[in-house]
Amino acid sequence: MAAVVSVEGLRKRYRFRDPWAVNYVSFELQPGQAFGLLGPNGSGKTSVVKMIAGLLRPDEGKISLFGEPPGNPKARANLGFAPEDPDFPKFLRAGEVLDYFASLLGLDEGERKRRIPETLAFAGLDKERRQVRQYSKGMKQRLGIAQAILGRPKLLILDEPTADLDPLGRRDVRALIESLKASGVAVLLNSHLLSEVELVCDTVAILGKGRVLKEGTMAEVVPEGKTLEDVFVELINEAFPQKRDNLPTFITDVENK
Amino acid sequence: MNGTLAVARYTLLELSRRKLLLVFFVIGVLGIAAIGIALKLVPTNMSFGGGPPGTPQPDPAVVSRFLELQFVRTLIGVVGFFALLIAFAIGMTAIYHDLESGAAVAIFSKPVSRLAFTAGKVIGAFIAMVVVVGLLGLEARLLMTLFGGGLEGAMWVETVAAVANASLLMLIVLALSTWMNNIIAAVVAFIYNFAASIVVGLHAQVVNAGVIGDNPIVKTVLTILYWLVPHPLMSDASKQIAKAQFEMFPPTMGPGGQVPGPGAPTTDQMLAGVPGGSGIEDILWWAFGIAFMAALVYIAVRRKQV
Repeated sequence: MAAVVSVEGLRKRYRFRDPWAVNYVSFELQPGQAFGLLGPNGSGKTSVVKMIAGLLRPDEGKISLFGEPPGNPKARANLGFAPEDPDFPKFLRAGEVLDYFASLLGLDEGERKRRIPETLAFAGLDKERRQVRQYSKGMKQRLGIAQAILGRPKLLILDEPTADLDPLGRRDVRALIESLKASGVAVLLNSHLLSEVELVCDTVAILGKGRVLKEGTMAEVVPEGKTLEDVFVELINEAFPQKRDNLPTFITDVENK
Repeated sequence: MNGTLAVARYTLLELSRRKLLLVFFVIGVLGIAAIGIALKLVPTNMSFGGGPPGTPQPDPAVVSRFLELQFVRTLIGVVGFFALLIAFAIGMTAIYHDLESGAAVAIFSKPVSRLAFTAGKVIGAFIAMVVVVGLLGLEARLLMTLFGGGLEGAMWVETVAAVANASLLMLIVLALSTWMNNIIAAVVAFIYNFAASIVVGLHAQVVNAGVIGDNPIVKTVLTILYWLVPHPLMSDASKQIAKAQFEMFPPTMGPGGQVPGPGAPTTDQMLAGVPGGSGIEDILWWAFGIAFMAALVYIAVRRKQV
């Protein structure tokens, strides 16, 4: 089966003197697979997914998205991308944003009329009449997920999709991922919420300072009796040992109380 | 094509809801109305002539014609000024806010090329400019219909020229705002536009009219600079107005009736220094400027990593 996305020897740095933000990252994603990309802040997860979505140019390495380079708009026709901290044209309303994006996806009017109300209802924004600039972070996040699924993608990339969602929103996203997986859609999930990743992903890769520290199926990465969080913390502490109890002295100093 | 149309359509919708553009438009409408009405009402309540006994009194018909021409000149200038303000308002926001807010992340992940996105943005911005400046031009034309002044036909040409000049400035701001903060982009574009207008003005005075001097090096430098900056397009109205004013107040009859000394510029020289209607080479240079700046906007958007 042809891989939905294939990443090979990917490297990226933002300035010449900066360290590599992404350093020789390789992985493949098959249809119907849910792949979790984990790592501490600044480990390069968002850079990887932005390169897959054609938003950043890699310095080295190769990305194949449905057999094409991601810079080719045709390759992105089957991609849904919900960015971390999403934003949209400020003066549009949710329905207008989805209509705008549906036009960019090339959906005809009949499909737009069918999909937009349903997608808005899924995102809980069907009764919202305000412009995007008046939205809370959570509302923008829901609109971000809505626009990502609007084109019925074959690859859905979710970058911290539940960071600003309430527990009900998180449950809806989990159900969405399960449903898409079952219908053969590949899901690439970036998240700090390891319990969620453990629930929905088949395969994970743990990144640290731009490198893949561990990759495999959930069973390979998480041994019996441990959680993904245990494995993650051990791996990061081993790879980058540092003092973790570095609380400010004005907090720990008893005499200051 | 669908992508371009979608981007253009929603750019227009967004621009129509932006307060900055609305504020500039309202100020433009009120400003043109106030200036037009003031220029007509104030002179009618003023008395001309006076001075010590024996001072020659100006012919009321000549004064009236002079005021009408001033009225037309001011209206043309005001429409051009507000067109530039609108160019800044559109150029500073049309692309910059998508890139800055992060909206571009969601847009560029869709199957739309950067070329289609840029084309859509430029088309949307251009249509907004035509509509807003066109409405201001229409208002100025209505004032001319109400109050007269002559040269009514020139107002349409001047409105088209104002849109053309402002479009070029808007593209400069659009291109710069893709590289840098939009306020800095506007300041840089303003300085460039100001410097360009000085070069064009000096070129008209030195090379065309030979008023300031006849130094070949200065002339060559000015000619080179002239072909490095955009030439503002304009109708023949300024020249016609200047000609009419010279006919009314010939230079041989200065304000005190004195005869100018030897070496003073002749009427023809002074008229040659007044910019006339744009020729085909100016229009082609403008078209090249538009194509060049649009290409710069595209390159800036294409290179942008979001």
